[in-house]
Amino acid sequence: MTKKTAFRIFLIGTISSAALFLWATYDTQRQVATLSHVDKLSDQVVAGKRAFQKYNCNDCHTILGFGGYYAPDLTKVVQRVGEEGIRYRLKSPELAFADSPRKMPNQHLSDQEIKDLVAFFSWVGEINNNDWPPQDSKKRLSRGEQMMVAKVGVSPGAAVFQTKGCMNCHSLHGTGGTFGPALDKIGASLSAEEIGKYVRNPKGVNPNAKMPSQKDNLSERELDEVASFLATLK
Amino acid sequence: MEYRSQKIAYWYFAAALPLFVLQVVVGLWLAASYTFTIPQSIVNVFPFATARAFHTNLLVLWMLLGFMGGTYYIIPEETKSEIYSTNLAWFQLIALLVTGVTALVGFLFGWTQGRPLLEIPMALDFVVVIGALVFLFNVGMTMLKAKNWTAIQGTLLGGLVFLALLYLFGIPFYRNLVIDWYYWWWVIHLWVEGAWELVTAAIFAFVLMKLTGVERQVVEKWLYVEIGLFLFTGLAGTGHHYYWIGAPRYWLWIGGIFSALEPVPILLMVFDTMHHVKERKEKIVNPLTWTYAIGCAVLHFIGAGVWGFLHTLPQINYYTHGSQVTVSHGHLAFFGAYALLNLMTFYYAMPKLKGIAEYDDRRGKIGFWTMCSSMMIMGLTFGVAGVLQSYIERVLGMGYMVAQGYMRLWMGVTMVAGVFFLGGLLTTVVDLFTLRPAKVQT
Repeated sequence: MTKKTAFRIFLIGTISSAALFLWATYDTQRQVATLSHVDKLSDQVVAGKRAFQKYNCNDCHTILGFGGYYAPDLTKVVQRVGEEGIRYRLKSPELAFADSPRKMPNQHLSDQEIKDLVAFFSWVGEINNNDWPPQDSKKRLSRGEQMMVAKVGVSPGAAVFQTKGCMNCHSLHGTGGTFGPALDKIGASLSAEEIGKYVRNPKGVNPNAKMPSQKDNLSERELDEVASFLATLK
Repeated sequence: MEYRSQKIAYWYFAAALPLFVLQVVVGLWLAASYTFTIPQSIVNVFPFATARAFHTNLLVLWMLLGFMGGTYYIIPEETKSEIYSTNLAWFQLIALLVTGVTALVGFLFGWTQGRPLLEIPMALDFVVVIGALVFLFNVGMTMLKAKNWTAIQGTLLGGLVFLALLYLFGIPFYRNLVIDWYYWWWVIHLWVEGAWELVTAAIFAFVLMKLTGVERQVVEKWLYVEIGLFLFTGLAGTGHHYYWIGAPRYWLWIGGIFSALEPVPILLMVFDTMHHVKERKEKIVNPLTWTYAIGCAVLHFIGAGVWGFLHTLPQINYYTHGSQVTVSHGHLAFFGAYALLNLMTFYYAMPKLKGIAEYDDRRGKIGFWTMCSSMMIMGLTFGVAGVLQSYIERVLGMGYMVAQGYMRLWMGVTMVAGVFFLGGLLTTVVDLFTLRPAKVQT
């Protein structure tokens, strides 16, 4: 091989790859409007993005999987902890993470900034991004759920409880979140019907409830399964 | 040292090394934050986010200083002329350092653009751009005036222009988060897998040519093939960052195929390094510099090539994306490809700048092996933590903090390995600053 041939390899390699890349960039620009629902990208969402950058949230949290790996991914945070859950964590992180081994700084956000951030996260959560992250995917985890039922022999309700994010806030036997109460003895005070009613509309039962409704998060079958599972814990 | 103006390179190296040390010290704090519970009162004033911004920006700053110093060392010998203006080189060094330090102090007070790795506020971005233009002008004028064009010069200049152009895409505020990340990667990915590869391939080719005495024609022929393959796989390979951001689905194909090929040019680099070393026409004078060159090629391949390949396929990346697996890959790749390359350049150039023909490399060897082995351990422990995270959080869906609980031990081991790394680094830095001639064997 001569140096001239080598130079040709360099030119062909670079130009072909650059051409493909630039074409795909052009096409992506065209398609992003639909994929990210640009019609819903309001000024409030943009204000939320500015707040997100102002407080450097992204160097602890990932969003769409990029950023710091020190705190949970925020792509589907609205679906996971609800708008109320976000507001509480932003307003009083020292309370929300009092028992957590990892703390979040109190940035003393204004009420307006908190509203903007919630709008931003709600918009991000709807981006059509090939169903990532897996832990918040409805499609994938129902398969994991079935596997757990089949292989590990736990009740379907227990599988839902473990895989649908209940444990982000609640704990069983000391494992799980501390944001909501521990549920080890919940069956002693509430029946399956009462739990089922509560998880569908917490505010309807207790106006001060911080828990978001699970109606969008879980199917009717899953809600019933998890309620009957919890009612057995006495 | 053949040209007086090469001396400026020393000051770039001298500025880069303490910043590298500071980067590693902050890194230990980050590892400690994963291992221990940092009280709310400290987190409120010095959050993890600020420390991370320090860690990553220091990396970019010291490495760019190293590349620039390396460039200023190389071009006089390549063009056979003095640098166009040493005053401009001085101005640009001071401007970059002042900007860097201002940015770091600013982070402490929350002055940030709030985008990972590109935290530097817009006002400072413009100073960086001015500095880059001065640098390009100075390097370009030196080459233009000398008119001794070589492939190494061309690659170096091309890489530096590409590097400066890409930086511009990181400056604006983007309303749409998807578009934001799309162009964020033009800076981050196309830097490290495009522009930086060009710059370092040129530096590497130069040092290899000088060390081994292999003919320029042969070295430059390989250089063309390598950078051709780097750009062929690297440009479209940017797609592996576009799987889950809300870009069209075909990126899974483009990213998957092109990045699966990314190890090829690196492997080629390993082969041709070994080949040149075998076919050498000069005898080995300073074995440590040779060790650095081979270590750089090998760890570049492991960290960037193998580790990158391991989680670049969409089917795997779906579970490992944004986990400690990425961190494992990032550490091994940056250390192998860029930290070792810079250190190789320092070990090649600094003895010459000090007029030492053969240096005493006993301390330097300890430094090299301590750093390399502790970084390999860190790559593995980060990797174990990452696999645990992918499985517990993503596959089982058991919640973020549940997974972090299982990972804690491994982050602790990483911290211990980090302490050893710092020890190796300090040994290396002290050694570089106080190089002594080797004792003549009797």
